Amino acid sequence: MRSRLTAVSRRRRGLLAVGLLGGGLVLVFLSTLIGLPDIAPRLGFQILVHQLSGGRLFPASCAGTGVAPGDCSKYTFIVWDLYLPEVLLALIVGASLGLAGGALQGVFRNPLADPFLLGISSGGTLGAAILYVYRIGEANAELFLPLFAFVGAISTGLVILAVARGRYGSVETLLLTGVALANLLSAVLSLVLLYNPIGSEQVTFWLLGGLQLADWEVDGLAFGSVLVFGTVLCLYGRELNLLQLGSDVAQSAGVDAPQVRLRVLLLSSLVTAVAVAFTGIIGFVGLVSPHIVRRLFGSDYRIVLPGAAVFGALFLLSASDISYLAFPGSLLPLGIFTAFAGVPFFLYLLYRQRRSTTMGGG
Amino acid sequence: MKADVPAVKVAHVGVTFGTRVALNDVDLRVDPGEFVALTGPNGSGKTTLLRTLLGFQEPDEGTVELFGSSVESLSVRERARRVAWVPQSEPQRDDVPLVQYVLYGRYPFHGPLDRDTERDREVAMRILEEVGLADRASDGILSISGGERQRAILARALAQETPLLLLDEPTTHLDIGHQLDLLSRVRTLAREGRVTVIAALHDLNLAARYADRIVVLSRGRRVADGGPREVLSEDLLARVWGVDADLAVDTRSGLPYLLPRRLVVENPPASGSLALGPVHVVGGGGAAAPLLRLLVDEGLRVTAGALHLLDTDAETAESLGVVAAVEGPFAPLSPETRARHRVLLGEAKAIVVAPFAVGPSNLANLEDLRAFVSRTPTIVIDAPADRSLDFTGGAATAAREALRAAGATFVADSTAALRAVQSVLSPPTRGPGTVGAPPQG
Repeated sequence: MRSRLTAVSRRRRGLLAVGLLGGGLVLVFLSTLIGLPDIAPRLGFQILVHQLSGGRLFPASCAGTGVAPGDCSKYTFIVWDLYLPEVLLALIVGASLGLAGGALQGVFRNPLADPFLLGISSGGTLGAAILYVYRIGEANAELFLPLFAFVGAISTGLVILAVARGRYGSVETLLLTGVALANLLSAVLSLVLLYNPIGSEQVTFWLLGGLQLADWEVDGLAFGSVLVFGTVLCLYGRELNLLQLGSDVAQSAGVDAPQVRLRVLLLSSLVTAVAVAFTGIIGFVGLVSPHIVRRLFGSDYRIVLPGAAVFGALFLLSASDISYLAFPGSLLPLGIFTAFAGVPFFLYLLYRQRRSTTMGGG
Repeated sequence: MKADVPAVKVAHVGVTFGTRVALNDVDLRVDPGEFVALTGPNGSGKTTLLRTLLGFQEPDEGTVELFGSSVESLSVRERARRVAWVPQSEPQRDDVPLVQYVLYGRYPFHGPLDRDTERDREVAMRILEEVGLADRASDGILSISGGERQRAILARALAQETPLLLLDEPTTHLDIGHQLDLLSRVRTLAREGRVTVIAALHDLNLAARYADRIVVLSRGRRVADGGPREVLSEDLLARVWGVDADLAVDTRSGLPYLLPRRLVVENPPASGSLALGPVHVVGGGGAAAPLLRLLVDEGLRVTAGALHLLDTDAETAESLGVVAAVEGPFAPLSPETRARHRVLLGEAKAIVVAPFAVGPSNLANLEDLRAFVSRTPTIVIDAPADRSLDFTGGAATAAREALRAAGATFVADSTAALRAVQSVLSPPTRGPGTVGAPPQG
């Protein structure tokens, strides 16, 4: 990690950012068209443009594509109400996981922090499972589900914060605590499911992670909450920069370190909870995305946080695309694909970290 | 700021950690523009006093005022606009450009939505100019040298543009040239009337040379306070440090300086702790010198080996009164030296292995160690990631790995090693907090 990072000039970074966002938009567009083999790209394109322009462009969206006029509304439904919400949910959830990962790495001063590895996602799942199994507030599930997931996620986060702040807050301790908590939570979950088979189908979905719940309403709810909490979280970039220099230095420079740590942890748990509530456990997005941003754009958390959101969104969408392309027609859990990319990366980071530094207290 | 309002006013301050009294009824007044050196043996309360001034440590008794307002009444942000802090060292993980690092110091001037302003950049560049790092502004902070790093930390603190600057042993990790450089820059700032400076300094000669005033703490009490000529005396040295020293006067500056001769008491224990140990340090070539000093300063009994005569570690050991197994210069370790070394290893309650360069002449150090790892807690300081310490074509690396396999604990640096040693040596009830500083989160 010599000053290679700083060598990338400001202008090149600007170009890179513009290129990435442009590429991202193209990816979003293409992703919507992946799936049913008999939808021609041209048809999908026309339907999207028709819908986005409110019917002003391509007034007859299926014209010239060989689709019978009677089938046009069916295809419109597939593209607009099935595929696009799924793509958007992948973006929203990927962004929230990437952002949460970046923020957690900052709070714990530890490049291996991630909502999944720390067990925060598992905590959220347990919360969601309790709601389903015990049928609490089922009538208002869309409201109670995030709430329960949040309580589960936040409780786990607080336990980890307590451990990390103690004298034994080394990398190893932190990760092992996360692993232990995740295991404990899944044991509790198994127990709950064993005694209450009703609802276990929904819960299994959370354990594996997927985008099946996506529709416009879910997307709206997820987007709204991530936008609010995520924006607030992104405002803590300056504080996180200073926290990297240790609590005392941060404090002497005007950062109320304990307060900031608590708030960022709460916000990260909130953002994670939103993701977990709608898509279940998807690991490693939060681990990988911030690192890529740091490599490309430097270590300023004011950039790392929003950048990790963008990369997380694109990462999860790519994972989803790959799952559809590699196994057309089957609904494989997304977590499988993020793990394929994430685990080798994680091992590489662990290897590099062992060689360079161990995280101490103060 | 009115001239008659003191920069710092400490009245009857007491701080206790468990049963240990860190500060006992301390009074201190520092006027704007003064350069005060805070000195005293380790565990005398220097760091605790600084932490009290920063608001990190709430006093159990007494009051602390900065420029007329009580520290407690100030928010963290308000404090950061009155007092800035230069620690001994800072953990640096991220390779941020120097100028951005200095801009971190502008934090107290910003709200959550603000960007760095033109003025922030001007301030940062001017300060980098002042500390002599302007030409390195866009270099990564991990790529600069240790001396430059310390100046960068100073620059970050100065960017807060506070009227008060606190430095905690800022020169500990610096060589003599960089020590003088840093302190003279700080003194210039004080002379120009821009900051009031309070610096905890180990080195009395440095304190006498740069400070207007020296405050001596011993076991949590203020035992002397005044100009260098009034304060430094052979008697004080014997009383506070337990050191027999000659006091001389530098004919050029007229300032007093000290030549330590020997310890009056062998390894005077830090307040409140009995001399624990012995801790045995394996080193060579200067790699163990800072560690030896650290352990001795903590009041531990220390032994070392096997070292070569004339190398920095051997000289440091001698000056600290550390018993060491020593070989003639540059010679391979003889069977006699190795036997003496094994005796010291056998007596040790804990063993620390410094990150020393291993060649054919001292490879035996690692080999002899192996038999003791299973019996005695052994702490190995990791080799720096960027250079190899192995000049034996792999044998040394293999030997280090064998230590790991045998159950040795690997830590990142001397401070972590000290913490590990303390937790090995101290009974569980006592808690391993560093003397003079509470456990940090």
